[in-house]
Amino acid sequence: MNKTIDINLGGLPFTIDDDAYEKLDRYLNSLEDYFGDSEGCKEIVADIEDRIAELFKERLKKRRIVNLKDVNSIIDMMGRPEQFEDGTETAYRSTARRPLDIKTGKRLFRDPDDKIVGGVCAGLSAYIGIEDPVWMRLVFGLLFFGAGIGVIPYIILWIVMPEAKTSGDKLAMRGETANVSNIAKTVEEEMQNLGKQISKFGKGFKRKN
Amino acid sequence: MRKGVLEMCILATIAEQRAYPSDIIKKLEASNLLVVQGTLYPLLTRLKNAGILHYTWEESTSGPPRKYYHLTEEGKQFLNDLLTSWNQLVHSVNESIKNLEQS
Repeated sequence: MNKTIDINLGGLPFTIDDDAYEKLDRYLNSLEDYFGDSEGCKEIVADIEDRIAELFKERLKKRRIVNLKDVNSIIDMMGRPEQFEDGTETAYRSTARRPLDIKTGKRLFRDPDDKIVGGVCAGLSAYIGIEDPVWMRLVFGLLFFGAGIGVIPYIILWIVMPEAKTSGDKLAMRGETANVSNIAKTVEEEMQNLGKQISKFGKGFKRKN
Repeated sequence: MRKGVLEMCILATIAEQRAYPSDIIKKLEASNLLVVQGTLYPLLTRLKNAGILHYTWEESTSGPPRKYYHLTEEGKQFLNDLLTSWNQLVHSVNESIKNLEQS
């Protein structure tokens, strides 16, 4: 006995075994992952679904239920996404294949790596897209010394803005999308920072002795 | 290399007669140009987005409506260019291996 599921594939109704459904679903998801958010991803997958529906129809003839064997043989015919390109480098691979992207818009964080007081100015600069937080500090400094109110907005911002703690936060702070290679980059930067801090700490330690 | 050739053959098939993907697959498989069928779909979408192809939906007697692909004016020009450089390449390669076959 086998549980079956009713599906609509490319506008045609099919009854499919549970295990076959799982396999097909995984295959279609792997296509979506492969084409990622490239222009036309949905269209490509929809076209392939249409084709699979057509092939199912041809194969079934008088049978009523799609089984795992049908799904396996159709996946072999269509091919795994890695086989689509004949091993040649393409635009898809370089620009669009980012299956592990996590969508993160730019977000406001305090930057703990580049802080003088609370990291507010550094975080704001990163948010606005200014390389050097010194300008932001100048504005706050002038507000403080010039008008005497600079400290209040600073403290409010300090309270409201969360600190960028994880690598993902730090990427979101700079407006980069978090994917594996970006995170690797950030982690690398962090390791270097850590190295600097350790050597600084070491020097301080020596001086004390 | 193989890929550009595949694109040329797809365009040539469509230039003969408007075609829907399964027709194209049949032709390409008959001439041993396609390893897996899935290769075709991203290529068609890319050619369409580049303005070389466009498609129209047509009712089918045996199922849901089908996407029929046509060449645009730009596509016809592009195919001509491809064919010219292909013929030049074939000519050059034939010239350079001619002596080998004779000996």
